[in-house]
Amino acid sequence: MEVIKVKNLTVTYNRKPAIKGVNLTINNGKIIGIIGPNGAGKSTLIKGILGFLPIDTGEVKILGKNVSEVLKKISYIPQKEQFDWDFPISVYDVVVMGRYPYLSLFGHPSQNDKSIVLNSLEKVEMIKYKDTQIRNLSGGQQQRIFLARALAQQSDIYFMDEPFVGVDAKTEKAIFELIVELKKEGKTILIVHHDLSRIKEYFDEIILINQTLIAYGETEKVFTRENIEKTYSGQLTILQKVNQLL
Amino acid sequence: MIDIFTEPLRYEFIQRALIASIAIGVSCGLIGTYIMLRRMSLIGDALAHSVLPGVVIAFMVSGKSEIALFFGALIAGVVSSVLISFVQRNSKIKEDTSIGIIFTGAFALGILLVSQLKQVHIDLSSYLFGDVLGVSNGDIILSGSITILIILSVILFYKQLLVTSFDPVMAKIIGISTGAVHYFLMTLLSMSIVSGLQSVGVILIIAMLITPPATAFLLTDKLKRLLLYSALFGVLSAITGLYLSYYFNWTSGSSIVLVAVFLFALAFLFSPKEGIVMKYIKRKKTKKLNSSEDIVTLVYKYGDTKNAEELKEMLTSETGISSSKVNGIITELMRRGCITRTNGHLELTNEGKEMAIKLIRSHRLWETYITEKNIVTEDNIHEDAHKYEHLLDEDLTDELDKELGHPEKDPHGSPIPKKKS
Repeated sequence: MEVIKVKNLTVTYNRKPAIKGVNLTINNGKIIGIIGPNGAGKSTLIKGILGFLPIDTGEVKILGKNVSEVLKKISYIPQKEQFDWDFPISVYDVVVMGRYPYLSLFGHPSQNDKSIVLNSLEKVEMIKYKDTQIRNLSGGQQQRIFLARALAQQSDIYFMDEPFVGVDAKTEKAIFELIVELKKEGKTILIVHHDLSRIKEYFDEIILINQTLIAYGETEKVFTRENIEKTYSGQLTILQKVNQLL
Repeated sequence: MIDIFTEPLRYEFIQRALIASIAIGVSCGLIGTYIMLRRMSLIGDALAHSVLPGVVIAFMVSGKSEIALFFGALIAGVVSSVLISFVQRNSKIKEDTSIGIIFTGAFALGILLVSQLKQVHIDLSSYLFGDVLGVSNGDIILSGSITILIILSVILFYKQLLVTSFDPVMAKIIGISTGAVHYFLMTLLSMSIVSGLQSVGVILIIAMLITPPATAFLLTDKLKRLLLYSALFGVLSAITGLYLSYYFNWTSGSSIVLVAVFLFALAFLFSPKEGIVMKYIKRKKTKKLNSSEDIVTLVYKYGDTKNAEELKEMLTSETGISSSKVNGIITELMRRGCITRTNGHLELTNEGKEMAIKLIRSHRLWETYITEKNIVTEDNIHEDAHKYEHLLDEDLTDELDKELGHPEKDPHGSPIPKKKS
């Protein structure tokens, strides 16, 4: 099933095109890596697809609809630096936000919502920390509660921005196992990945990007020396020069 | 004593002042909590100042009409907050700079208008510096309604305020407009400023929005309690300030704010978790506990071979604690029944021995663990283990023991005591 269709997407960030003319057709039940050097527009691609940044040209359809109509079926797990960890909020309160899309304007979480939240916490093995303030968690635990929130949201599509940064090897493995389980349920998971390690092990497909789309497809076919060099070397200096003129 | 509180209450103007104090404490405490959490203190300050031209214009047009002042202040506040975002979105000027430009501009306009008034009316000066004792019935109705509105908003829109404050991206996914919530909050903020104008004044009202929430934040890490405590601290500051103002004829704005700052200072020093004095005491206690654990261990190892004086000397040099402190700790350990003194020797009681064995066990297990896991080189493992033996509780020690497969000896070849069953 086709979940995400991106046609000729250009997104401008700080008045410069950050990604240009990207075309993608993504099917469900896959773990997809978004790979490229710093400043290549990996996060911009996600934010562009989700409509968090204004789109210059192009079109995005998710599940055949406009993004705003299906946002509730999408989970976005941002980078950890995005959060104020001193915020007066407990693990439970973070995860229960995953149920907010299903609540009415003034509605409160029902018993059913609460049991879904506890189940999600159980799955990521964080149930015993449910009343803990989030500052008091380790990096891996912090990552897990946002995964639990995505689970509670029961989304079809998961966007994760560098989920393995600042996480120990054991937690990385545990998180990845959960992601694989999601895949088995037919979910689609897109992961911004910061380096070239474990790519073949983790991803069914990869998107190589450096302002323009370098390659997209099955990891086996696309993860080649040539493509990597194209992504990480100065192939795109012309676009960068154009950017400087703008 | 209680008379100090009740005696002034027979005056109607004090009763009015009391109600106004509660209103301002609650409305500013609640809204201020979100202002603090969203790191918008600067914009709060800006709005508080930029309501001035609105207040003065309303004053010029209508005299002292509470309703006119309310709308004057509200419009000025909302217009300023829109202008701040407008400048920031349509140029490379960043938010803090934009705030600085708009609010000083608005405030300057307000001052200019004040100077154009034939004479600065006493009512107007109370809006600048606050006069809690001059609160009218109209003021009470106004700030009372604002407070009820704010309480309702905070309860009804709890979810929306929480998500947009903590995780704006999640808010977008849920379909909550972060922009709408921002301006809604700006409107409530302008209102809460209006509710405090008469009692605290334009110039200092920002303190009521920031200081009580900050005080509360040092005492809790739960949002609902934070809201409750900051409302309480707001009310407490306002009421105390009111009495100071009544008895000593102090400017009420200053009195209220100084009480609020005093409460903050108390929390900063003595908050159980965050207070710097409490942290200091905790550090001292841990240090003392560690020292007494070190002493017990050394007495266990050398109590038989050395007499009390030799041992004390050794304790001083090994632990780096002064000899008077060593004596003090030993006296305390004797009082607690861990150490006894027989024939000039220090000896551990059964209880003391148990404690020493536990410590030696976690120390040696930790040394074994870090050697096996290659965490540090052998030279400094002892020092490292020394730090950790105090930290490891019994459960963790058992876990270590299990993970290492119940080793007999540590890397130095010393036997690891078995767990007492």
